[in-house]
Amino acid sequence: MNYIKSEHYRLLRKPSLYVTSGICLLFQVMAALLLYFFNQFETDFPYATSRFLYSNVVSSGTLLVIIAMLFNLMLTGKDMSLIKQAISFGISRTTIFWTKFMLTLSYFLLLCIASLFLIIGLGENLLSQEENSIANFLIALSNMIPLVFAGFSIIHMMRMLKVATMYIIIFLLVLFTYSGELFWMIFRSINGLNELYKYGPDILLRNNLNHFMDQAAYVDYRCWITGIVLAFIALLIGTRKFTKQNID
Amino acid sequence: MDTVIQTNQLTKTFKKEEVIKPLDFVVEKGEICALIGKNGAGKSTIFKMLAGQLIPTAGDIHLFGISGNDLTDAKKRMGFMIETPAFFPDFTAVQNLEYFRIQRGVVEKQRVQEVLQTVELAKQKKKRFRDYSMGMKQRLGIALSLLSSPDCLVLDEPINGLDAEGIREMRRLLLKLNQEKQITILISSHILTELQLLATRFVFIKNGEIVEDLSKAALDEKSRKQIQIKVDDTAKAAQILERKYADIRYKALPDQTITIQNHIEEAGDINRLFIENGLVVMEFRLEALNLEEFFLGLVGEDIQ
Repeated sequence: MNYIKSEHYRLLRKPSLYVTSGICLLFQVMAALLLYFFNQFETDFPYATSRFLYSNVVSSGTLLVIIAMLFNLMLTGKDMSLIKQAISFGISRTTIFWTKFMLTLSYFLLLCIASLFLIIGLGENLLSQEENSIANFLIALSNMIPLVFAGFSIIHMMRMLKVATMYIIIFLLVLFTYSGELFWMIFRSINGLNELYKYGPDILLRNNLNHFMDQAAYVDYRCWITGIVLAFIALLIGTRKFTKQNID
Repeated sequence: MDTVIQTNQLTKTFKKEEVIKPLDFVVEKGEICALIGKNGAGKSTIFKMLAGQLIPTAGDIHLFGISGNDLTDAKKRMGFMIETPAFFPDFTAVQNLEYFRIQRGVVEKQRVQEVLQTVELAKQKKKRFRDYSMGMKQRLGIALSLLSSPDCLVLDEPINGLDAEGIREMRRLLLKLNQEKQITILISSHILTELQLLATRFVFIKNGEIVEDLSKAALDEKSRKQIQIKVDDTAKAAQILERKYADIRYKALPDQTITIQNHIEEAGDINRLFIENGLVVMEFRLEALNLEEFFLGLVGEDIQ
């Protein structure tokens, strides 16, 4: 509990927390304003709709994971060297691993919720509304949640295991952009595994976007299976390896 | 005497290289124990294993009699400063210590101010850590190690980067903590003359194993090099010595001084012998090796 309190004390005093959050929110406002002003000057402008604004979020699954990585990096970056002080004081590696995970995830979720309210507020007030666009948007988002959560867990695991940022980016890009296609290429001829590619995060995100654009979004259980499995594996590996890691 | 730190067959291997060979090592309550070794001897590795930063390959560590996985309570009685102290560069000294005060569950808020005063950083408490000098950073590291009022301090190179005044202040502070608050100290430093002024016990380490473990008295005894005696008649003194000790090794110098290289433990007897034989002893001195000379003699190399 004391470790959580101290991390909370630290995070609230980090300017980067406010700067990163501010920039993220600012980009959303700018995107919405841009669409709004284009619509003001061009009467046939087709993209000044809330559905188009939301589709930018739904299509940004990989980008969201990269933002999650930047967020994690901002909040834990230089401070990793201080873990040794906590360990010297007898705080277990497991506590450190989970506390940092829960806190950075909480702040990231807060930012996501603020972004969600902001984007819906902007979409519904500045742009032309379409029927069921919010409902479709929320369903599509519900499919993205487990995948982004999995991405966040992978980022945390790799950060705590001191994997270089460049390798984390490469891994995330492969996972969220090509994994489904890779699975298809590798497993297509293996009976029983030839359907595995459908669970690739890239395929799931693409399907989710397509359904959203068709205004036919539905809760896809495969997103949850993939998200939970990936997060579970990442956190399991992270906890096990971090507890045996030398903190130098 | 209570045992504060005890290691049993503590071993550390990095990539098949055994950097710490099975180590049995004890620090008793109230001691200022100096761990001495050249770079790469394994001092920091031992400190880091005690702190839990490095996981031992084999063996176990007892802190205040507690061993195993649950050293949390025992660690709360310890204060560690290992190598360069790590703090948040953008935080002030107060913010940094406040973070650790919360983390360590130290209830008294004024404790932050107290430790800053102890290490004489109270005036610079609002300065950001990144703007501190090396000496100030070291002192803040000591302040952190004192934050939870520990019974034992483990300090790896605490006087690194300090100027002469800073070193003297640090020595004064550590002696005060040891004598007034009975804090046990395990310390390492490359400045052996400082350790000689500070420590009550000296543990020499070479290639990951202890090669000598001496109390201050034993070190003084072992590091005696020769007896220097100034007498009125060196020829007569030589005769007396040869008569009494067949294997005596001595040199008679032109300035009426005679130096004796063995039978050093019998210095008192030699003095009495000279006086009983009517010699006037004008000066009697036990010349000793300093810690650095003793260490170099032990490991046979430059400590840097």
